[in-house]
Amino acid sequence: MATVITVTSGKGGVGKSTTTANIAAALAKLGKKVVAVDFDIGLRNLDMILGLENRIVYDVVDVMEGRCNLAQAIIKDKRVPNLHFLPASQTKDKTVLEKDKVEKLINDLKQNFDYILIDSPAGIESGFEHSIYLADRALIVTTPEISSVRDADRVIGIIDAKSKKAQNGEEVEKHIIINRIKPELVEKGEMLSTEDVLHILALPLIGIVPDDEDIVKSTNLGEPISLKEDSLVGEAFRRIARRIEGEEVEFLDLKAKKSFLEKLKGLFK
Amino acid sequence: MSFLDFFKKKKSKDVAKDRLMMMLAYERATTKIENLDEMKKDLIAVVKKYLNVKDIHIKNQSNQDIETLEVEIILDK
Repeated sequence: MATVITVTSGKGGVGKSTTTANIAAALAKLGKKVVAVDFDIGLRNLDMILGLENRIVYDVVDVMEGRCNLAQAIIKDKRVPNLHFLPASQTKDKTVLEKDKVEKLINDLKQNFDYILIDSPAGIESGFEHSIYLADRALIVTTPEISSVRDADRVIGIIDAKSKKAQNGEEVEKHIIINRIKPELVEKGEMLSTEDVLHILALPLIGIVPDDEDIVKSTNLGEPISLKEDSLVGEAFRRIARRIEGEEVEFLDLKAKKSFLEKLKGLFK
Repeated sequence: MSFLDFFKKKKSKDVAKDRLMMMLAYERATTKIENLDEMKKDLIAVVKKYLNVKDIHIKNQSNQDIETLEVEIILDK
């Protein structure tokens, strides 16, 4: 049975699309048939992060309004055999989505894939509601900053109210991903730690992702970093994918990189 | 932690955490019930059958382990 996973955050700019792209790629690498769906109608970005922007012919709204069939709109990634992508429409806005059409689309996708990853738009308006409505699981992305944690808390509070699962008496499985952790700042006590964030949000953790310049580069190139074997951030996303698959994997040990001088100082402490 | 740390200023992340927890305690309490006004009306209607009600205050509070709903019914004298 296919699993629908919605990646959401409340606040914009915390790395939802990057997270979606990387987890989708990592799950596909594990041999699962994956489709990443961009629900950020009017402000699509997942296409560029995945490096598939030049191959778009039809989009998700075209499918829902019957201008093409599903197979025509889905883009097959050439680098990872099991990775697929369904782009958002760039010319419409979020209000174009309708509940029953969204439901039909997701149910059709369920017939063909193991995982359907939905990249939710920022905010808590209709676009968000459509992207969470059919979710089996939700991954809430937050950075260790007050505005991001606050918005994450707000979103967590309304996920169940907006989901079909909850209407049927079930619960959406919710997990936290803490993105852009700066170990140097955490060690100095100048950034909320993983424990702090989890204490506040009171949900289980599924991933910690360090802040890393590699991400900027991979986004520039349109190559998901989870495909780069030697990257630490890539490994962070690969581990999330394995946890989604039910495997128990240790969390990364994020330690500050120390300069020679700091190491020397450490000796005299 | 050494005794010198005692004199140090509070770390900024502790301030952040305190501010967040305060704010969220308040926000969680006010946003939990979606149809608060409707529920208020219903409650008033029920209690009115037996008593003279002036107003109802409803407060929702939660921490990690427990969630409570405080209903204060103000009677008409």
